[in-house]
Amino acid sequence: MSGDAFIEVRGVSKSFPSPGGARAVLREVSLEVRQGEFVAILGSMGSGKSTLLSILAGLLDPDAGSVTIGGERIRGIRSDAAFVFQNYSLLPWFTALENVRLAVGAAFPDLSRDEQRTRALRTLEKVGLGNAVARRPRQLSGGMRQRVAIARALATEPQVMFLDEPLGALDALTRESLQGELARLCGDGDGRVTTVMITNSVDEAILLADRIVPILPGPPATLGRPIEVALPRPRSAAQLAHDDAAAQVRTHVIATLTDAVVGRGAPKRCEGGPGAPDRVRPTIRTRELQPAAEETS
Amino acid sequence: MSVSIQRLVAAAAAALAISGCGGSSSSGAAAAETGSATPAQLAIEKPQLKLGFIKLTDMVPLAIAYEKGYFEDEGLFVTLEPQANWKVLLDRVIDGELDGAHMLAGQPIAATIGFGTKADVVTAFSMDLNGNATTVSNEVWTAMLPRLPKDAQGKPMHPIGAGALKPVVQQFRANGKPFKMAMVFPVSTHNFELRYWLAAGGLHPGYYSPSDVSGQIDADVQISVTPPPQMPATLEAGTINGYSVGEPWNQQAIFRNVGVPVITDYEIWKNNPEKVFGVTKAWAEQNPNTHLAVVKALIRAAMWLDAGNGANRKEAAEIISRPEYVGADVQVIANSMTGTFEYGKGDVRSLPDFNVFFRYRATYPYYSDAIWYLTQMRRWGQIPEARPDQWYHDTARQVYLPDVYLRAASMLSAEGKASKSDFPFGTDGYRPPTAEFIDGVEYDGRQPNAYLQKFSIGLKGNDTVRGASSGD
Amino acid sequence: MSTLVSILRLERFPTLPRPRLHDVARHVGMPIVAILIFLFVWSRASAGIETTLGQIPGPAAVWQQAGALWADHVAERARAAAFYERQERRNAAILAADPAVRVAIADYTGKPTYIDQIVTSLKTVFAGFALASLLAIPLGIACGLSATINAGINPFIQIFRPVSPLAWLPIVTMVVSALYVSPDPMFEKSFINSAITVALCSLWPTLINTGHGVSSIDRDLMNVAKVLRLNWTTTLVKVVIPASLPLIFTGLRLSLGVGWMVLIAAEMLAQNPGLGKFVWDEFQNGSSDSLGRIMVAVFTIGIIGFLLDRVMLTVHRLVDFGSKR
Repeated sequence: MSGDAFIEVRGVSKSFPSPGGARAVLREVSLEVRQGEFVAILGSMGSGKSTLLSILAGLLDPDAGSVTIGGERIRGIRSDAAFVFQNYSLLPWFTALENVRLAVGAAFPDLSRDEQRTRALRTLEKVGLGNAVARRPRQLSGGMRQRVAIARALATEPQVMFLDEPLGALDALTRESLQGELARLCGDGDGRVTTVMITNSVDEAILLADRIVPILPGPPATLGRPIEVALPRPRSAAQLAHDDAAAQVRTHVIATLTDAVVGRGAPKRCEGGPGAPDRVRPTIRTRELQPAAEETS
Repeated sequence: MSVSIQRLVAAAAAALAISGCGGSSSSGAAAAETGSATPAQLAIEKPQLKLGFIKLTDMVPLAIAYEKGYFEDEGLFVTLEPQANWKVLLDRVIDGELDGAHMLAGQPIAATIGFGTKADVVTAFSMDLNGNATTVSNEVWTAMLPRLPKDAQGKPMHPIGAGALKPVVQQFRANGKPFKMAMVFPVSTHNFELRYWLAAGGLHPGYYSPSDVSGQIDADVQISVTPPPQMPATLEAGTINGYSVGEPWNQQAIFRNVGVPVITDYEIWKNNPEKVFGVTKAWAEQNPNTHLAVVKALIRAAMWLDAGNGANRKEAAEIISRPEYVGADVQVIANSMTGTFEYGKGDVRSLPDFNVFFRYRATYPYYSDAIWYLTQMRRWGQIPEARPDQWYHDTARQVYLPDVYLRAASMLSAEGKASKSDFPFGTDGYRPPTAEFIDGVEYDGRQPNAYLQKFSIGLKGNDTVRGASSGD
Repeated sequence: MSTLVSILRLERFPTLPRPRLHDVARHVGMPIVAILIFLFVWSRASAGIETTLGQIPGPAAVWQQAGALWADHVAERARAAAFYERQERRNAAILAADPAVRVAIADYTGKPTYIDQIVTSLKTVFAGFALASLLAIPLGIACGLSATINAGINPFIQIFRPVSPLAWLPIVTMVVSALYVSPDPMFEKSFINSAITVALCSLWPTLINTGHGVSSIDRDLMNVAKVLRLNWTTTLVKVVIPASLPLIFTGLRLSLGVGWMVLIAAEMLAQNPGLGKFVWDEFQNGSSDSLGRIMVAVFTIGIIGFLLDRVMLTVHRLVDFGSKR
């Protein structure tokens, strides 16, 4: 696995000042992501996932450790990276088209304004918003806004995408339908964009990711062993609901997280270069299983 | 929401449409012939003028010159703008915002010698003689009344000297209350005449010194500045016990029952110079023809005001009762303007020379008038050190421009609008010595220092003022 | 306004039951009743107070004076028209006699009417307000973006904010006199003095609110600018300023209110021919009509201030895009 790592995170630590002294949020976290891979970082709220993603994206600087993408250490935000926030973060005074065009204009300043608009339009059509381009965010539903945010990210033709719980603010029904969309946009098609996504939904992670990295709650948070999701694409929620392999992965993932919560046993760390990921081998403790994530099926 | 916007827009549009073209002055046409019926030989440098005035009845020559078209006849388009107070008026003339103004006779003099803002201000036209009075509060009047000599009908005999006020002042001070009076400006005619009257009655009105310009050093009566419109109210409140001011504020006091006028300046100094038309020296030098034209128009206005033994005075009172001029009620103005003066409720006496605009050579700028003011400024310490007589004569010549006046006068005579005999062409600029003062002291403008020696109260010779203002 | 809206709503749904009526009664009826009570109390009270300027005028007298001012305005306009007519005839006569002569075209020099004075006041307040906004908004943005700049400017804000216009005016007058020397000035000095004084007193709310608005924009929006890698100018123009517009407009609205109040005081001393000068001149007139006319001015000033505020509020609502992102 090492060797063709596109994104490499080594020993990253981060603390934040707090009234009682510095609070360590991440401690010596390491991770590798291959090019074209879709990695989901899975954990419950407040576990430090957003911090980790922000450091990966270059929004935050780590206190220790490094992040390299494509061989070079990142310095702030890369020009070929795109970020989708949990709270859409569209500019409310611009229309959907303008929001996307702004991103295109910043990424491709040499294009004429018209060309930028055309590209923006095309991307919006791709996410299914072709007839809502002239609306402002307050006139769009939550789901539509998130599509615009995704379109904004995609329109810049990024090499890397960072998604921070992109569907977290939506209701369950919208979330489901958009998961399908996201799978289609990010997962399928050629030249897949390297993607790192944060989520708190196991099913979502299984639907979208190639690899799931559980984040074990701290503080400080650490990463559990990555779990391969070797399921064929294209995937759909309906299909996965009855798939045995998927069920196994789910069980494994939940168990890993539960372990960490209930047992607080020796946290599984990845030291230095990560070892081979766990295959589907659930570890069942004698204590009661408490679901770390919502689903238990 | 949209309804309110529409309304606002409609209202705003209506307002703007209504306002149409504004009326104030703006940059006027270049010098050009006016083409009026009388061929004007003067090439006016600046036809659009803005002149300032204070809302006192003796601004009337300016109003008449405008309303009767005398300014227009000369090719002048004048805006008359009332000013907030004397200081603002003087500052704006010096600043150039006003081309000229209705000024206290003392203002050009004080400005030239540097008491207050220093600037070269000159005048070629004296606007009137007399025209102010001193009023005291009802309380003071009641205290004064028993000691005043009465005539056959039991009314007090006028003029009332300040000697009648003296016991009242002493009573006040014995009770621990200072006796306060107000006037309109430190170099106003009101200030000097009030002080003259008080000193003539044995009361010390206070000195000025270079370090203390309150004018209350050693004072028996504390004199300070109050804006005229506030005088009746402060008199009623008891903050001051009397004031000296022009009209309509003395007649207002009677009208509103807050005080009683005790003496007019006509009685203090018969036919004293009161207001002048002042401009900056620079302006006069840059606009000689315009200056002449203004003086011509003002002379005609003055002639109209004194014509026919006061036949036009009633109309004059009506004109200046308009809010853009003096604005007071016409019956209050009419009293003094038509030659009567109400000394007490119902006690109306004839005083045809309360306002004199043209008779007695009122409009000629006599050097001796300027010198009288200089002597009084010296007497009370506004001029802190002794000056030789020649200094007085030289200063007067710096400020007063009788040759401009005479040129205007001869032009008017040539045009047939006046006759040469109306004007004092042969004079040397000094009125003959006169003793028509309340205390009978003779004033000869040719000998200012000798004049000062004649007074018991006041600086003279080489006197200077020492020390700060006295406590009471 | 909301009362009108509620009435409109009422008309659109005539079948709504009584609760709606109660609403209208409260929002429209109550103010009317309050105004009537006020008028009644005023007319009673004024009859009893006698000042040195005469009796305090009641509502009827004030209304009469308002009518007199209007009639005055109309008469003055007629006089101006007559003047121009006279001038035209005169000039035509001259030109007929000798076409080579250059004739003088003079402006009418009558006094400014009440309406002229209102317009002058409005022009002056907007000039001052524009000047204040030009100074305060860029400075406020700088303060909001940089805590260092904010720390540097803050002492000045705290010290100069409470200064009254009457204290600024002499200084402003003298500085303007010294600097603005021109033989044919485009603006009257009184206008400039008043406008600058208004600017000096009214720029603080805008400055403070702009700084606050810029410094408190949502971190998420700034993150958007960061991840999109927008350059500094684009971030400023497309993110920072639109995000802070609501607070900027709050500041502008407050500033306009302050400016209008300050203007009246400044005009009295600077002699700008507006409503402030009108009040002072009437006070100096001391006629029996003066108090009534001053009260007309008081109501005019209040109503105009209210309208200005409403205009700003409407503009504010237009730029408030809400927080839904």
